This record gives sequence, structure tokens and C-alpha cells, in this order.
Amino acid sequence: MNGSVSSRQAAETAGGMPVSELDAHWQELLTVALLGTDRRDPPSPLVGPVGDVVTDAVRHEPSARMLADVATCAAVRRAAFLPGPPADRLAPPAHDPRPICPPEAVTTWRDLTDHWPVLVDEWVLTVLHRGWRLPADVTVALLADSGRDPVRRARVVRAAGPVAEWVLDHLPSLRTGGVAGGGSGGGRRVDRATPSDAEVLSLPPLVVPPDLEPLLAADALTFSRRLLPGFHEGRFGASHRPVLVHLFARCRVEVLPVAAEGLAAVDPSSPSSGLAHVLADLVRARTRLHTTLA
Amino acid sequence: MTDRWSVEQVMAVAPSPSTFAAAEPLADPGRWTGLGADRRSAWGRCRGSGREPYETLVDHVGVGWRCSCPSRKLPCKHAIALLLLWSREAVPDATPPPAVAEWAARRAGRSDGASPPDTPVSPVSPDPAASPASDHASDPDRRSDPDHASDPDRTDPAGPSDHEHERARDERVARMREGLVELDRWLEDRMRTGLADPSLAHYATWDELAARLVDARAGALANRVRRLAGLVGASPDWHDRVLAELGVLHLVAQAGLRVPDLPGDLADAVAATTGWQVRQADVLAGVPETDHWVVAGRSDTREDRIEVRRVWLWGRASGRWAMVLSFAAYRQSLDASLEVGTAVHADLFRYPGGSLRALVGERRDEPERPAAPDPLEVVAACDAVGRAVAAEPWLERLAVTVLAAPTVADGRWVLTDHSGSLPLVGERGTLGALLAASLGETVPITVEWTPHGVMPLTIHLPDRALDVGPRADTSFVAAG
Repeated sequence: MNGSVSSRQAAETAGGMPVSELDAHWQELLTVALLGTDRRDPPSPLVGPVGDVVTDAVRHEPSARMLADVATCAAVRRAAFLPGPPADRLAPPAHDPRPICPPEAVTTWRDLTDHWPVLVDEWVLTVLHRGWRLPADVTVALLADSGRDPVRRARVVRAAGPVAEWVLDHLPSLRTGGVAGGGSGGGRRVDRATPSDAEVLSLPPLVVPPDLEPLLAADALTFSRRLLPGFHEGRFGASHRPVLVHLFARCRVEVLPVAAEGLAAVDPSSPSSGLAHVLADLVRARTRLHTTLA
Repeated sequence: MTDRWSVEQVMAVAPSPSTFAAAEPLADPGRWTGLGADRRSAWGRCRGSGREPYETLVDHVGVGWRCSCPSRKLPCKHAIALLLLWSREAVPDATPPPAVAEWAARRAGRSDGASPPDTPVSPVSPDPAASPASDHASDPDRRSDPDHASDPDRTDPAGPSDHEHERARDERVARMREGLVELDRWLEDRMRTGLADPSLAHYATWDELAARLVDARAGALANRVRRLAGLVGASPDWHDRVLAELGVLHLVAQAGLRVPDLPGDLADAVAATTGWQVRQADVLAGVPETDHWVVAGRSDTREDRIEVRRVWLWGRASGRWAMVLSFAAYRQSLDASLEVGTAVHADLFRYPGGSLRALVGERRDEPERPAAPDPLEVVAACDAVGRAVAAEPWLERLAVTVLAAPTVADGRWVLTDHSGSLPLVGERGTLGALLAASLGETVPITVEWTPHGVMPLTIHLPDRALDVGPRADTSFVAAG
């Protein structure tokens, strides 16, 4: 650590003159600058090194003298970058014994935010259920993203621990963030202030047609028998994508390895192969979600 | 192959921002046929509003253009679009058609006295589409070396090509001087009419000046003027900020007019600040600074229609700072090869004048992580910034790493330690991350000094670095 610096005495002068005098002169310049030298004469240059530079500018039009004075003072004031007085520290938040979730999990969160926001709710809940704590940058981003959705916000606050409320207390603007986000399709735009534990600790439902709903709880064998033939036979197209995304985002975690294998085996010549490729990416992302938070 | 231009260089030759903006949609290979490029030129046919496609040629070595469109702007949007395509490596290498080869050879013969090896020599004849002035005055590939920039009256004995080169350089210097004189006159007018003049609220007032500075090849000053326009009305104390920046512009203009009389390094710094560009190849031909460079912070800002990324490096052995810039137009990606919180053992080549700006050369090892600069106390950080700004008062940003805690003083966020405090600027997300990571305790933080306060870029935690600097809008730039 480099502690050898100019003394506080130096901090009280700039350009060989007291900073207070320079500031006062700058305020005079600012007043004239607002009105313009057509309406008011510029102030006399300061006496001393700063003023000498202006006097040496040898131009006599008021606007030229003013400009030289402004330039000199601006340069001296910027170079005299002085610290303010030491300030009192903030009282720290309460201690949270939970470990911060691992960096690989944060990488996965970023990936989900960019590519599969439908999985972000599950990521936060998994952090919570497995006893991890949100890191600082993720906490603030999720608080900002949760906007006016009290359920998501409450979930983030629980996952982040006391630091979340502490940050919100100090930055109240984060309490009224932008549009609720962080997930697609399952956004609960509710305005109630205090969500229940059940709401906070459960995944928001996603829209799945009634005939496919049983697959949400199905085991791997049932899931693959019921769904994968549709890809091999080319029955699924772009119009099925939203429903299938919801299904793969909410199916049982145990289903994911079989689903990944089945989707990878879809014949590239099948009309559904493009969709299978996209869903395989979702399945991989969801798998990473769980492995990096294990 | 010739060095490809950067987007910044293409932008610099555009006659106006509106031409550049009009060119962007045309920089799509789907709108072109017959695209090709070789070591001297690029060519293609662009579908336009006319019945026939426009035949467009650019000389990216000698810097010239020709297009069959009716525009009177030089270069036209088609030529700019072709340069953009070529800069993005979207133009395939090809053998030039005879007409292109002839045009290129004529230009090569006129500007160099010799043709490049891959173009046939043909009799030199006048080319009305490319006057000598337009060939050379806008010459980003003939960026003058720093000695020339600082010595425009140099009269070394020279052969014909050197003479031509000098003439082009002198023309460019003269144009830039005219631009600086005009800038200073404009600044005086602002002092005369005052900051309350309603015209200052109109962007056109600033944009016209910026356009004239672009014409004068003072692109860096043009960008600075556009940034200044954004300060008007942006905060309660905008008059203070604008007045200070007008004063700094006056300093730059005056220094720019006195470049031949300034000491070498200062002359180079002034030349760079006014917009005198230097070829990357010339920078990379310099003496490298080999060190373990800690990637201390990253900051993205939008300037006009270009996203600019500054990556701040700190030399572990030298303790010196450097800055690597990258640029991205719409849908281009910014350089992501320098990861914040790592250290790379590499050669670094500074731009002339001991500039902060540098290029990274050979990297010798895999990056180490985590890595952080040695932090300073607040008062020492102020001292470091003050010294740098005293040497170059036109500096707009500077990185420094402090060991301090975020807190509130007099209703304003600051970084504090026992020696003093620094005013913080930044978005709520950045401050929030700083608070959450520090828990109100002292932590090493790399900040970017600006005249309005320090912006947190990186919070250096024991096991990792949190990159909290302003980030480019992902709807504008492509993923890196």
C-alpha cells in the first residue's frame, strides 16, 4: 500500500493559491458565463500564478480573456483533485452464516438470464433450498429485475439474506425497480405487499395444456415414451415451442438425462430436429443449474 | 494483407454521422453482388434506389473511393458501407476485375510512384473521381508518425514519394489548424453569448461544430464536443460542468495550434487528443513494455453510434496504468479477450507520447486469477490522479485502485478511508453491488476517475473480482 503522498497542507492549495479563493473566482466566472460577456464584464484575473497565465494570454477582447481564465481555472481545479473529509462508516448488515454460492453457479445464472430466463426462478429457489447465499452482484441484479413482483422480490431477499434488506434500506430506488422480469410466462404481477411462504418457496406455474399436464410429474420412462416419438416423427414445429419450453422447464429433474439423450438422438432430417436442438440446450442449461448448485 | 480498418477509422472518413448511419443498413452482404477485395481495394455493386446497382470501389491503402451513385458526398454511403463490410471481413478475397485493377493501378501510380505487387501497371491518367486532396487529406492508413505530427514543418530531403507524403501531411495539418482555429472562435462566441443562450439546448448547435471538426480530421475533438452536448441540462449543475469542459477544449485547441513548439511527448499527447491517429502497425513497431498486466477494470460507453470499451491494465512490476480500447458498431462484438480480475504476462505497446492508450502484443502465459492492483489510500489516489491531470489537463478518465468503504456523506455516496473521501458516480446497480459486496467495509476497488466523481469498475474480493463497470447494451452489441 502506498501511503507516501503529498501532505494535507498541499491539499489546501492549488496552483499556488488557496483552494477557497480559486473556488470563489470560479463562481464569479460561472456567473459571467451564464450571462455572457456581452452583458457582463469578466472578473479580473486572480493575482498569482493562475492569474499570470491568464494575463500572459495577451488577448484583449472580454470573451477571449474570459475563455483563457475559464481554461486556466478549470485545469487547476481538475488537477487539484482533493479528497473530502473522512466520512463515518455505515453500520454493517447482520451476519449471514450461509456460504456464497460457487462462481460456476453464478456463471450459470448469467447464462440463464441471457438465454433461458424461464429458469431463473428455479435457480433462485435452488440456491435457497440448498442453503447457499446469493453473491453481491447477483443480489443487486435480481432485486432490480424483480421490479414490482413481491413474490420474486421476497424470494431474492430470502436467498440473499440480511444484506438484501440492508442494500434496499440504503438504496431505496432499488425497491421500486423497473418492470418485473426474471422469468417468462410465469410472471405473477401481484401487488400484494407480503406474499405467503408457499408462494415464495414454490415455483410459479407455467402454462401447459391439460393433456400434457400429467407429464410434469411423470417419470423418465413415461416422459420419453409420450413425448420423444413426436420429435422423431416430425410432428412438433415452431408453434409448439412455447408449450414444450414450459414442459421441459418444469418436468421432474430426474427426467432431464433421458430427455437430453432422446433429444440428441432426433434424426437431423426430421422437421422437428431444430426444435429438438433448442430444447436440448434448455435441458443442458437446467441440468447445469442443478449440478453447479449441488 | 493490408491492415483492416477499424470501425472507428471508417467512421472517421464518413463526411457526417448521418452518412455513417445511412451506410450501416447497407453494410449487409445480402444487398451486394460481385463483392471482392484484394490488398489495395474493395469493390462491389450495391442495390439502391436506381434501376441499376451502384458500382462502388474503395482504395483502402491510398484512401479513395468511387461510386456511380448520384450523391455529392464523398465518400458516399455506399463507399462507407463497403468499407464497413471489408472491415468486418465480410468481403471475400478476389482478383479485381479489369476496371477495378486499372483504377487501383492509376491511384497507386499517382500516390506511391509504384503499384502494389498484385495490381497491373497501367498508364497514369487523371481520375476525376478522386482528387489528390480527397485522396490524402482523409488518409487514415497514412497516419503520420508522431515525429511528423509534432513537426509539420519538417523539411528533410526526400524523394518524390516522401515529398508527396509530406505534402499530404502538410495539407492535413493545415486542415486541422483551421479546425482548431474555428473551434476556438466558437468557444469565444459561447463566452460572449453565455451559457443561458437557448441555442445550446439544440443538439444541432453542437453537431454542426462536431461535423466541422470531423472535416478538419479532428475526430477525437468532434466526439468530445458531442459528449459535451449531452451534458447540457443533464444535471442541476450542468452549467458548471459545461463551462469547465469548454475551458478544457480551449486548452486543447491552443495546445494543438502550438504542437510544433511543444516538447515531444506532450506534442504527441496533444496530437492524439485532437484526433491525429496513428496506425496500429506503427504502434506495434514500438518498444514493448513486458509485464504481468492486471486487468483491473472495464467500462463501456456509447459514443454516437459506436460502443466503446475501455479496459484498464495495471503493470505489476511497473505500477503503470494503460488502457486498451475496442469499438463496436451495431451488432458487432466488443473485445472480450481481457477478463477483469486476471493478470496476463504480455507485451504492451503504448501509443506515442507515453499515452495511456495501448495495444496488447504477444501474450506469454495463460491468465492468472484472481489478480488485483495494489490499492492506494484515498489521499494517495487523489495525488495520483492530480499528477496525471496536471500533466494532461484534457484527460477525461483515469483508473486508480483504492482501499476504501462506500458510505454516505452530506447526502452523497462516497468512498472513504481514514485519509479522506471520494465522490462516487454510477448507476444504482453499480452502487448496490458495491454495497452488497463490501458490506460497508473497506475493500479494494478499481474506479475510473472522471471530473464529476469516481465510477466503481471492479470490486476485488479475495477469491474473485466483481466486474460492475457500465456494460454495453446487449440489444446493440453482439455477444463477444
